[in-house]
Amino acid sequence: MSPTDFSFEPAYIVVAVAASVAYVWSAGSDRPSRWRIAAFATGAFLLAAGLNSPLETIAAKRLLLVHLLQNALVADIAPALLLLGLTPAMKGWLARNGAQRIRARWAILAWLAAWYGTHLAGFYDWALDTGWALNIEHGLLIVGGLLFWWPLVSGRLGAPAALAYLGAAFVASSFLGLAFIFSSHPFYSFYEHAPRLWGFSAIRDQNLGGIAMNGEQTLVFLAAIGYYVSRLLREESVQGR
Amino acid sequence: MIPVALAAVAALLFAQGAVRLRRRGRADVAGWDRAALFGLGLAVTVAALVGPMDRWSDTHLAVHMLQHVLIGDLAPALTIVAVRGPLLVFLLPAQVLAPLARSSRVRAVLSTVLRPRIAFGLWAANLAIWHVPYLYDLALRHDSVHYVEHACWVVAGLIVWTLLVDPGSHRRLTVGGRIALAAAMFAAGQVLTDVLVFSFHPLYPAYPGRTDQQLAGIAMMAEQLVTLGALAFVLLRPRMRAARLVHA
Repeated sequence: MSPTDFSFEPAYIVVAVAASVAYVWSAGSDRPSRWRIAAFATGAFLLAAGLNSPLETIAAKRLLLVHLLQNALVADIAPALLLLGLTPAMKGWLARNGAQRIRARWAILAWLAAWYGTHLAGFYDWALDTGWALNIEHGLLIVGGLLFWWPLVSGRLGAPAALAYLGAAFVASSFLGLAFIFSSHPFYSFYEHAPRLWGFSAIRDQNLGGIAMNGEQTLVFLAAIGYYVSRLLREESVQGR
Repeated sequence: MIPVALAAVAALLFAQGAVRLRRRGRADVAGWDRAALFGLGLAVTVAALVGPMDRWSDTHLAVHMLQHVLIGDLAPALTIVAVRGPLLVFLLPAQVLAPLARSSRVRAVLSTVLRPRIAFGLWAANLAIWHVPYLYDLALRHDSVHYVEHACWVVAGLIVWTLLVDPGSHRRLTVGGRIALAAAMFAAGQVLTDVLVFSFHPLYPAYPGRTDQQLAGIAMMAEQLVTLGALAFVLLRPRMRAARLVHA
């Protein structure tokens, strides 16, 4: 199979389309702003395209680097964008229908469990070997991501708590990327025996994957921390008046 | 031996200030906890600059980086936390403090370098400049440049940690402003960390090991997480408690 061929996880096309239909239907009575529509559409696109494109072919057949980048997309960026696209009324509906019960301390643990659990060698190799189990891996990462971002996007956490939450998550999640960066032997037998691409050895591929993962998380978390720091400053300036 | 001598002078200054305060009945702000913190700050500095760590820093970039963050971050943080409140004023004998306090030049310099943007700019410039490979190697080859480099780390650290801890309660920054400064410092440090960790080629000729270079980046990130993370926790905890009480 050529690296430029398309591969599909059709379940996530269905999920992205269903979420978009629900969004459009809800937007009829509660019109979102342009930036919210853009955020939601980008999140849905990343979810569908990240798992149904040549990216999926390279991730599932050739390079761990691309697979880790794909995981970072579906676990961190796409869920955050999907939730940021929701209007207050949409978030209110979700809160009334169960999301209110999501506590930050459990959300972060669930996200970390998904993050580390799906990257365990046994699970990862099994998912890659079977192919269909990649749906489970990505599903866990997406649900973990949605749970993680919900306490922040729902406004449940004030700026100080949000900063503590993001700081804890940044530190706790960074060890996985560092393990990939500093490793001197391949963690996954699947990629050890996979046909190589772009001249990367299995270990260079793994090191680069860790770099991509850590780089993506650094950008996402520092941006989120920056937002909450500016909110804290705004709140102080309002209180000072 | 210069670091030991300077540490001894700092210890003497602290001791005379604490004794004077205690004689005035203010043992509450000059207790043994402060002495322990100050002593720890000096011990960290001396341990980083004298002995095995200093020797290892010649051959290991990670140890050299650890040395820099200890003298430029952890040690200033500990010593400034130790002297917060009246001790700050009592640190210098009255005969030394009075002319300094009256000097308009000294006051102008202090008020300039303690402006948050200038302080952060100086700290970040120091971080960036001393990691330029040419200067890093120059410092390794010439002791005098190396002393200047270490002095720059200490001074830059003292300036930013003065703003972060606010030992004199000058309120140059609000709590949010202090968190913002800490976040900016972490972000700037993260840029250097990423350059070191993500680079596949050694950047400094004196240190050819790639893993050593990556470990140097991690040492910096870990130390910043500990010091700046602890500060953020201390600053944010009362607000988180207050928010919880409001919700309750």
